[in-house]
Amino acid sequence: MNDEQVAQLEQAAPPEQAVQANTANPGNTPLAYYEIRLRFARREPAIWLAHLDMMRTFERAIRRAKLPVHWSQGFNPRPQMTFALPIGVGLATEDDYVDIQLIEPVAPDLMIKKLNDNLPIGFEILAGAPILPSKISLMSLVQAADYRLSIAGLAAAWRRIPVAQPLIVEKFSKGRTLQVEIRALILDVRLMSESEIVIRVKAGSSANLRPDLFLDALVVYGGLDAIAAADCAITRLSLLIHSTIDPSGYASPLRLPQ
Amino acid sequence: MTTVNLPRHVLASVEKPARYTGGEWNSVTKIVPDVAEQALRPFLRFAFCFPDTYEIGMSNLALRIIYHMLNEREDVWCERAFAPWVDMAATLRAEQIPLFSQESRTPLREFDLLGFTLQYELAFTSVLDMLDLGNVPLLTCDRTLDDPFVMAGGPVVYNIEPMAAVFDLVVIGEGEEVLQEITDVWLNWKKGGPSRTREQFLLAVAQLEGVYVPSFYDVAYQSDGTIATITPNRPGVPATIKKRIILDLDQAYFPTDSIVPNTEIVHDRIFLELFRGCTRGCRFCQAGIVYRPVREKSPEKLLGQALELEKTTGYDEVGMLSLSTSDYSKLSELTDSLLCELTPNHTSLSLPSLRLDNFSLELMQKASSTRKGGLTFAPEAGTQRLRDVVNKNITEENLLTAMELALRGGWSGAKLYFMLGLPTETMEDVDGIAKLARAIEDRYNKLPRFERPRRLELAISTAMFIPKPFTPFQWCAQADLDTMRSHQSHLRDQLRMTRSVKYKWHEPKISYLEGVLARGDRRLGAVILAAFHGGARFDAWDDQFKYDLWMQCIADAGLDPNFYARRERTRDEVFPWSHIDCGVTTDFLWTEYQQAMQAATTPECREQCSACGAQCFGGGVCFE
Repeated sequence: MNDEQVAQLEQAAPPEQAVQANTANPGNTPLAYYEIRLRFARREPAIWLAHLDMMRTFERAIRRAKLPVHWSQGFNPRPQMTFALPIGVGLATEDDYVDIQLIEPVAPDLMIKKLNDNLPIGFEILAGAPILPSKISLMSLVQAADYRLSIAGLAAAWRRIPVAQPLIVEKFSKGRTLQVEIRALILDVRLMSESEIVIRVKAGSSANLRPDLFLDALVVYGGLDAIAAADCAITRLSLLIHSTIDPSGYASPLRLPQ
Repeated sequence: MTTVNLPRHVLASVEKPARYTGGEWNSVTKIVPDVAEQALRPFLRFAFCFPDTYEIGMSNLALRIIYHMLNEREDVWCERAFAPWVDMAATLRAEQIPLFSQESRTPLREFDLLGFTLQYELAFTSVLDMLDLGNVPLLTCDRTLDDPFVMAGGPVVYNIEPMAAVFDLVVIGEGEEVLQEITDVWLNWKKGGPSRTREQFLLAVAQLEGVYVPSFYDVAYQSDGTIATITPNRPGVPATIKKRIILDLDQAYFPTDSIVPNTEIVHDRIFLELFRGCTRGCRFCQAGIVYRPVREKSPEKLLGQALELEKTTGYDEVGMLSLSTSDYSKLSELTDSLLCELTPNHTSLSLPSLRLDNFSLELMQKASSTRKGGLTFAPEAGTQRLRDVVNKNITEENLLTAMELALRGGWSGAKLYFMLGLPTETMEDVDGIAKLARAIEDRYNKLPRFERPRRLELAISTAMFIPKPFTPFQWCAQADLDTMRSHQSHLRDQLRMTRSVKYKWHEPKISYLEGVLARGDRRLGAVILAAFHGGARFDAWDDQFKYDLWMQCIADAGLDPNFYARRERTRDEVFPWSHIDCGVTTDFLWTEYQQAMQAATTPECREQCSACGAQCFGGGVCFE
């Protein structure tokens, strides 16, 4: 995108959808804001950021980009921004989402350009569209996620595990070790090649499977080498919400205008 | 040129992997010219090395300034390297991965110049760890033309003698100008081709004011272990090395495109450097002497830098970094203009290290108008007598008034810093700390309920006094471990009865080792090497410090730690740092020491000049 195109976008009327600002602020002066949903990828070296670090990184990029964000109130104002699902340290993603509230409409293409110009290496905003501000958070909508795992020996390890075998692995949580059964959280396993698996698993705030626990199961029950498991590259390929229309029952949180 | 490959399992197995992965906003990457091009136009690959963790290193102002300053040059690429935490260091060793730079993951050995900044003596073993992990020979005598030059700077280099065998060259004082000169000398030396020698480069930089080449000096000892003479062993090498300073800070380079770390660091905000130096002359404070004279930046310059940095970094907080921020002569003007410009952008201002005597409600309210940070005061000692000994010119009433203002202003308390083991300290002085805490409690209780916070919270912490070179107490004996402990536990017992106080203290053994190293000589070099080989590193970290190992290494070298830490020196003793000239004269320091012993105070620079010697630099507060 060159400067001229940016200038054109700056002048372009905002998409119709975004103009319907949220006025549901009972009792008080109506507070109007607009919301935009962005799809983003994170790749090396940014995959090593913890979730909090990533939030700070986005905040600073937003500030550098001088976007008209809606700030929270109080002593410690923050840009109003919600991520769909925290992603673990060391995991890449090609399909993650963040909702950002704005006090005036910004054309999605311009927003994408400005953010991409201000995000550190490894982050890329891929798409965006205005959404209707809603009380239901993006996080609570997330139902499933697809992950691609790549390292030699994956497919063989999966094939070695009997279909009826419960997959009990150890999970460290809040300083405790828990035994959890994860087969119930696996929706689909596709062997793409001997060294690549794509899994669809439950994700979100009610039921969630971290892909590293799936790898642990491959180590424990399928004989995958532990070092290989630690070297396995993991990429979140898609993040899915419930859909009544799509035959699979899942859909992307971002529907782009045709 | 090699790039280190970091397998996923390495990063996946360590704490905070983002420390090691680079790619931060505003970090600089360059294309290294090929060998043919470099033969025509030499290109310097410089690694700024910080011998502690990423979070601490990235909070260092010198790193910020030098990094961006050198990268403005087309003939230099300055990268960064930090001490890997013990988990990462163990993994790198196990997998034989050399320590690398943050930007290009180049092994340290492939750099031309490694510049370490030393902020505390306890980082010595981490310097060795970084060199060792980077496959760089630890000693200057073992390095060849294929190895980098290893350089040091920072406050610790005012006595770098314990590490004299490690560093090829040392920069005494402020680096902005002299690093440019060293770079030019290196680029010129590199043109000399394969017949050039390391000695040629070192001889050339030894001519620059502020550059110390330890191997060019011989140290002779007397039979009692003290130093007889320190003499140059090459013709044309100066007998004393005078520190470098920047006189006009408004003209000095300051980066306005500073790196924004991807992971949280200690000072995670914009830094403004209001001034260098300090007018106060606290007698325990090395920084207060070696950074003399005070030189201020103008408020206009600072405002401009703050606004530029706010744009380029996206930080939402501006911090002020100076020895005693509230002594800045135009503080009110500066904070007003900063707040006026920053508040609309939801950017806050934090004011650290306030002094008790010029503490104002107005200033406090300014600091709190955007975000309420904690308050920190440093009375340093518990009684007026001892505060006079150390020349901390504040009174009990200063503290109580400031605390009352703070409590009325909505703060629920403050952090109070004290030192234990100060020269002439008695139990009465220790009791004085507890009495001060109770006096604050009394003030709090007397305040009407609606004018005070619901609860009073005081965080008192004590550090052990460590006599440092270039202070009036450089002649003093450090308190022994038993005294340190008994004073500490006495204070703990006294404070138990004071409900509002949380008491924290430093480990005396760490302070004792720091005391040994701070006034150490070259004979401690072997001790540091032995301690490193025995596994010592990150010695400033309580959970890593290995006291017994250190004491064993000192004994094995046939040395006595008390010779360094616990010995009262005479006026005419030749110190290991006697060939270093920081501008302040030994006569002034000795007079100050005598004054201290009589609990007599000395006014600060702006009130009255005490002819410390810093006038010789021809600028700053001496000529205001």
